Amino acid sequence: MEFLASDQIAIVDLASGEVETEEFSDELCQEKIGGAGVNLALYNQHADGDPIVLGAGLFTGSLVPGSGLGVLTAKSPLTNTVVHAPLTQYLGMELKYSGFDYIVIKNAAAAPTMLWVHDGILDVEDASGLAGLDVWAAVDKVRADKGDDLIQVLGAGPAAQSSDLAGLMINYWAAGDRFGLGRALAAKNLRLVAIRGLGLLEIAEDEDFVAQCVALQAAVKGGAWAGSRGLVDLAKAMGQDALAGWMAPLAHRHRANFNTPFAANTFLFLEGDPAELAEPAQAEMGVLLTDLGAPAVLQQMGLELKDAGAIVKQCAKLGLDPGLVAKVCADTGKSDAAAISGALESLSGPVEGLAGPFSPSVPRAAMFGIDQAADEAWWTRRQAVAYIFGLDPLFALLAPELEEAKLVELAALGTVLEFSQDGLDAVIAEVCG
Amino acid sequence: MGVKIDPLKCTACMACELACGYHRDDAFALLSSCIVVYRTRDKKDYFGVILKEEEDLVIARPEGLEVKRIGAVEEGGGGGDASAKPMLLREACDQCEDRDDGPLCMQICPVDAIYLD
Repeated sequence: MEFLASDQIAIVDLASGEVETEEFSDELCQEKIGGAGVNLALYNQHADGDPIVLGAGLFTGSLVPGSGLGVLTAKSPLTNTVVHAPLTQYLGMELKYSGFDYIVIKNAAAAPTMLWVHDGILDVEDASGLAGLDVWAAVDKVRADKGDDLIQVLGAGPAAQSSDLAGLMINYWAAGDRFGLGRALAAKNLRLVAIRGLGLLEIAEDEDFVAQCVALQAAVKGGAWAGSRGLVDLAKAMGQDALAGWMAPLAHRHRANFNTPFAANTFLFLEGDPAELAEPAQAEMGVLLTDLGAPAVLQQMGLELKDAGAIVKQCAKLGLDPGLVAKVCADTGKSDAAAISGALESLSGPVEGLAGPFSPSVPRAAMFGIDQAADEAWWTRRQAVAYIFGLDPLFALLAPELEEAKLVELAALGTVLEFSQDGLDAVIAEVCG
Repeated sequence: MGVKIDPLKCTACMACELACGYHRDDAFALLSSCIVVYRTRDKKDYFGVILKEEEDLVIARPEGLEVKRIGAVEEGGGGGDASAKPMLLREACDQCEDRDDGPLCMQICPVDAIYLD
């Protein structure tokens, strides 16, 4: 793959510590496109090693609006089915620029291990120095040890050793996989994957490609979501005014995932004044909410916002998926904040109602007047499109301007490979199972 | 006239950084950008944008916009982003003078946080 890719796939055998690389071929891209499509093909090819596959979408890291998504494909310990987890914030972008388009992680290490992925090099390293550290301390240590605060870290926390509610963590915050994939990492003795990319992606017809990206950006900017930002506005747009009102008092600022026009992450200030904008002297000010799952349940349980925020922060440090934690607490009748906090380190499933290959952290509900987002078939197809092309899965619902035909056209323009709607339909059918 | 940033509109999406990188390299890359999102204070929720001009650094902090003369300012605004290519080594903003539509960062910003002033 000469364009929109690094042309490299890594296959890591954690049992032996060996890393092999192969090219990301034009044929594979034409057939499976990217993201979840290629991830699934690699998963099946290496299924004997119970793989975890990290991949970037075809457009991840480009100027296509919403192009921030990376994808992790693996068997969920909760559902025992192959699922695709969203890698948002800046992680998808960092993976794309790391020199690897896809990383297949097979078998299990004999001792705690981390992967250090940087500029076309993948090092399998001893992670014993991270023993006993929570998620935040582990991220800080990796960044300090490598001398780079811009390293993006995909990992599992200490909870992954024992809890099936352990989720994937991106740096300090929940990835929102909902599939208990923190346990999948722990089962391989893989503590984290640290990624830093300073690469460059060539574009085949760059002027036309970028011109179309600019035109698309202008189109999506006028969408129904325009002028809104953050989870408070998202809750309002979903008709959940009580939830919005509950979150608003501690909402500080709202952050977008890479190149994603709608800022879907909201930081709650659990310390200090949320209206304060100057850099705080305190090191930790609160927690970044990355989806509405946990807040919605905790609010309905009657928790005070500050208590709920503290629970989500505690989940983040332990590596627990706050959406799963909230669901289990609600299902088992736990509603006292102190009791929940005290029980977190021993909290476990079962978790009912998980289905489908895509994370339910993206709400399936009408929002910003987009009624189709409540339709399961439409929602699932838009998720598939997002996960294949590397587009933010929430933004894929908010921006119907990102039409499949346009994406197919852009794929051909950016790579000079042949893509078709029929080909996309086939890949969508595969990733949807 | 120069490129300015409204820090409170900014959502740290980095589209501007990528756009500028493309303007410099005719490829998607981030190392050559003259506009950079300052994003390593995650746990404090403190983020902003830095733009390098010929003689000044435009620093869009959430508490307000600052313009500081290069040579009169410490490098980078703190050690957190020292791993990125230092701002002072980057090219100065040329406002995309070769583009009919002007600065690409301004065009691509999804929240209109970038403007000419």
